[in-house]
Amino acid sequence: MTALAEVVLRAVVVLAGTALATFALLWHAPGDPAAAIAVARFDSVVSEEVVAQIRAEAGLDAGFWPAFGHWITPILAGDLGNSSVSGRPIWPELRDAIALTVPLALAGLAIGVAVSVPLAIFATRRPGGWLDRGAVAVASLGAAMPAYWLGLLLILLFAVHLGWLPAMGARTPAHMILPALTLGLGVAASLTRILRSGLREARGQPFLPALARRGVPPGRIGRDHVAPHAAIPVVTVLGLELAFLLEGAVIVEVIFARPGLGSFLVQAITARDFPKIQAVVILTALLFVTVNLLIDLTYRLIDPRTRDRDA
Amino acid sequence: MSVVRGGRRVLDSVDLALAPGRTLAVIGESGAGKSTLIGAILGLLRPQSGRVAWNGEDLRATNPSLVMQEPRAAFNPALSLRRSVMEPVKARRLRLPEGRLDRLCTGLELDPDLLDRRPHEVSIGQAQRLGILRALITKAPLVLFDEPLSALDAVTQKHTANLIAALQSEEGFAALVVTHDLGYAAAHADEVVILRDGRIEEAASAETFFRAPQTDYGCALCEAALALGALERAA
Amino acid sequence: MRSVVILTVILGLLAVFGPALAPHDPNAIDIPNRLAPPGDPYPLGTDAMGRCVLSRLLHGASWSLGLAFLVSVIGLIAGSVIGLVAAMGGRLVDWVVMRATDSFLAFPDLVAAVVIAGVLGAGTGSLVFALTVTGWMRYARVARGIGLSLGSRGHVTQARLAGLSPAAIAQWHYLPALAPSLIVVWTGMFARAILGISALGFLGFGVQPPTPEWGTMLLDARVHMRSTPLLMIWPGLAIVVTVLAINLTGDALRDSLAPQERPA
Repeated sequence: MTALAEVVLRAVVVLAGTALATFALLWHAPGDPAAAIAVARFDSVVSEEVVAQIRAEAGLDAGFWPAFGHWITPILAGDLGNSSVSGRPIWPELRDAIALTVPLALAGLAIGVAVSVPLAIFATRRPGGWLDRGAVAVASLGAAMPAYWLGLLLILLFAVHLGWLPAMGARTPAHMILPALTLGLGVAASLTRILRSGLREARGQPFLPALARRGVPPGRIGRDHVAPHAAIPVVTVLGLELAFLLEGAVIVEVIFARPGLGSFLVQAITARDFPKIQAVVILTALLFVTVNLLIDLTYRLIDPRTRDRDA
Repeated sequence: MSVVRGGRRVLDSVDLALAPGRTLAVIGESGAGKSTLIGAILGLLRPQSGRVAWNGEDLRATNPSLVMQEPRAAFNPALSLRRSVMEPVKARRLRLPEGRLDRLCTGLELDPDLLDRRPHEVSIGQAQRLGILRALITKAPLVLFDEPLSALDAVTQKHTANLIAALQSEEGFAALVVTHDLGYAAAHADEVVILRDGRIEEAASAETFFRAPQTDYGCALCEAALALGALERAA
Repeated sequence: MRSVVILTVILGLLAVFGPALAPHDPNAIDIPNRLAPPGDPYPLGTDAMGRCVLSRLLHGASWSLGLAFLVSVIGLIAGSVIGLVAAMGGRLVDWVVMRATDSFLAFPDLVAAVVIAGVLGAGTGSLVFALTVTGWMRYARVARGIGLSLGSRGHVTQARLAGLSPAAIAQWHYLPALAPSLIVVWTGMFARAILGISALGFLGFGVQPPTPEWGTMLLDARVHMRSTPLLMIWPGLAIVVTVLAINLTGDALRDSLAPQERPA
């Protein structure tokens, strides 16, 4: 129970740290944030009075810590505020963006799993065989291949040359194929690498030959002894894959002009719409801390050795 | 002195005294609190209660030194043995009396050329004598020995024990030896303390203890050692 | 494996001497010859402003690799110091430092770099800052992990007893043991920095035009994908080959340093 409390306390501290870092970044951003807000909101030269009013509204003239308090209070209450450019509430717009990104991320993850799991399983059946070497090559190449270039190459091939698929926008389900493929191939590369080394280690456990000699069928050895062992790195990597998916989504959505979370963030940064930026940052941090919390707890469930690791 | 570690009272009201030039053997099984005792005496751990003093001042001010159980691990594999041996001198910017290093090398039967090697390039026995050299170089008034002989073979053990004894009479340091080797204690210690589960089970002069142990545990230890022939070897 | 190391050395030399080998000024505009195919005066053709693609790639090599080197070395130093402070500073310091590290890790680093570079305003300075701030945690974790296991080593205890200062203990007793692992981490982070720099360049938050940098070259090339697809092949190829070579060198390093990494 104390271990659980420790894990939750960590998550809270990490969230607080992220919030503080975000605010510190906005606080130190070049230029007067109040003036930036004023210009963005009124779209013209504004008087010094208006700027001062905005500064007071946002608590910006009171120093770092009071301003931080002023800033964090509505966020803690679940209010992400209004866009400093349009003045409209952020949440509905953000929700629409998320609704476009989540299916893309899931499709990418599905493609990645569909490619990497069979590849890794068959590759480790015969270590050093051509399939194994192929898996290593795919993983190495994938790790070096930037998503933005892969995406452009896919557009070049399937949209420009062959004309099979649409490249830009998000109007039809077909619009999701190329972005999902771009994301999925990247996921496949990193998943293959980790699954392969995890499975190799699991297959190399010292007691497996003894089981085989005793006549335990290979299928049962795989299910009961190899799979649980290989599951541990997979759980860890899911957290990393989530990071990868989100990073990938930012890039992929820009390439394919898909108005999801990534495009939302890039547009917010370009427009210097600070409330929008911080909304994305805080939601992302919340998502990651939650996922890491779940991973930590899952660990404790599947690997008894780690249960009192931190005690 | 008491020490609590990980919620467990590892050392409980342990009280020891030692005079210059004398040898105190602390004897106990694994888990009796011997390592904790060493850490607390050297100030590496903070006791919950009690203090460690030498002539009325904090012992740490006298820079006590330690000879460790694993001779090679006590030396940094990345540095030459000379650098490691001279570390206590360099770190405190001390000036070494002319010829002290050579004299100690002679006393420990060490070829000074060994100092230019790395830890993995000398034998275990040599490494342990180099460890003793480092512990003695700054003329620490109290030298702690943590199972100093257990990593060595029987012949080297006896030889090293004799070298330590000879150097002790020459240099006059007090030696606190933590060991489970009763034979060594019988041969070289002036006083004996039996440590069991973090408490002092029995404390006596070596002569008294080995003639007539007062506690059942002390008797059991002596009998076990007799059965192994350790005490005869020492005699 | 040897061919990979040779390739990496060649790439390193190109980063240093590439600009000197460039046949043209990378920013010299030649509008009549814009979007020219590979040919006589321009071995790899020209871009939309008639600039020599090969010259821009070679100059881009020193930008990409030079900035990535800077970013990864600052991260290496900062991360190692932070990790060692956590390992040597006792339980409370360790807890605080590691929670701070977790806060930075709680975020996908490229997204964080985009936010930081974007908010601070485009430019090389904020690019370096953004990638460094998001790139030190792995070093810190490795340094702290190995550092904690070193704390109970005999020679570290002896150094403390000898009265060595914590800084000297870190320098002489921790760093030699940490170096192999940190170097392996560094190669990985160097490759990541190259990807990060070009990604930020591609998004428009990195090195600013007209400076030749591989990511911004891709961004420029994208517009002309239909007419001149080769234009976006070159910088992409440069990035992939470089990152692949560095990653494979890192793997080789890890394999050869692995025996030392295992605790005795």
